[in-house]
Amino acid sequence: MKQLIAFTKKESLEIVRNSKLLIIGIVFIIVGIMNPAIAMLTPKLMELMSEQLEGAGIVLDEVTVNALTSWQQYFKNLPMAVLVFLLMFSGILVGELQKGTLINMLTKGLNRSKVVISKFIILTIVWSLCLSVCFGITYGYNSYFWDNSIAKHLGFTFICTYIGGIWLISLIFVVSMFIKSSTGVASVMAVIFLGKDLIQMIPGISKYLPTFIFECGKLVDGAGKTSDYNRVIIEILILTVVNIIAAIYIFNRKNI
Amino acid sequence: MKPTPEMLKQIMPFLIPLIVVELLLLAYTIYHILTHEKYKRGNRILWIVIAVVGMQFWGPVLYFILGKEEE
Repeated sequence: MKQLIAFTKKESLEIVRNSKLLIIGIVFIIVGIMNPAIAMLTPKLMELMSEQLEGAGIVLDEVTVNALTSWQQYFKNLPMAVLVFLLMFSGILVGELQKGTLINMLTKGLNRSKVVISKFIILTIVWSLCLSVCFGITYGYNSYFWDNSIAKHLGFTFICTYIGGIWLISLIFVVSMFIKSSTGVASVMAVIFLGKDLIQMIPGISKYLPTFIFECGKLVDGAGKTSDYNRVIIEILILTVVNIIAAIYIFNRKNI
Repeated sequence: MKPTPEMLKQIMPFLIPLIVVELLLLAYTIYHILTHEKYKRGNRILWIVIAVVGMQFWGPVLYFILGKEEE
């Protein structure tokens, strides 16, 4: 337990000092402000362009904007921020193995499983902070300008994206076991995260994949039921635990 | 139709925090680039150009992922 606390402290200091926390925080704040801003601007831009569009034979009706438009933007923009998060933190384990700074501590008797667990804890804390900030800013603007009550199941979609993120974090550690460079891990994570959109195109299969959890944005419009996501939530929770256990198991037997 | 003052007023609550946060990020990135001699890849001019061009947030993020030297 002492080892775990000490190493977690070291990790948190590292993330603050190499300014990754600051950068990722600012990115999530920017995305949080951008969602309602884009929703607000869309009809204005349409108005500005209406003369040109009329020339092209397109006549615009009154465009109405409400909290739903802003929430749709939120679910469209959030993957971008998640991608930045994955790219930024994918080197958390491999980077230290590459630099060789972990070897000193491991030879002094630091338990290898503690390394994985404390890094997982730190990333989970950072992810919770980032997602809450992004969600909170969008929610605040929406309730100020419009009315949040027309958006359904907001709390449920928040929890879905939250555990989806934790699953991706646990995946970083499994991928780190097989790839030696941090750029490699970053690209594998990017391929997994962006590849989900390609696989979703195959009808019938998307429902069974863990990445289905990121589709939960549709619930806000009132499409689908929350019970559709029960299976994928259980799947994600099991996979997260399996990923962490597998990462620890492989890391214990790995030559460093 | 031209942008009206009323329109600008509506956008202000978004624009001001957005500009402040983005400039903060850009300033920090440029400060970091100027105070470091060596980078993982590229050189100083390249990174300053990238940071300024992609100032919304991709420029600074790219610098911190790809360019920042690990101490």
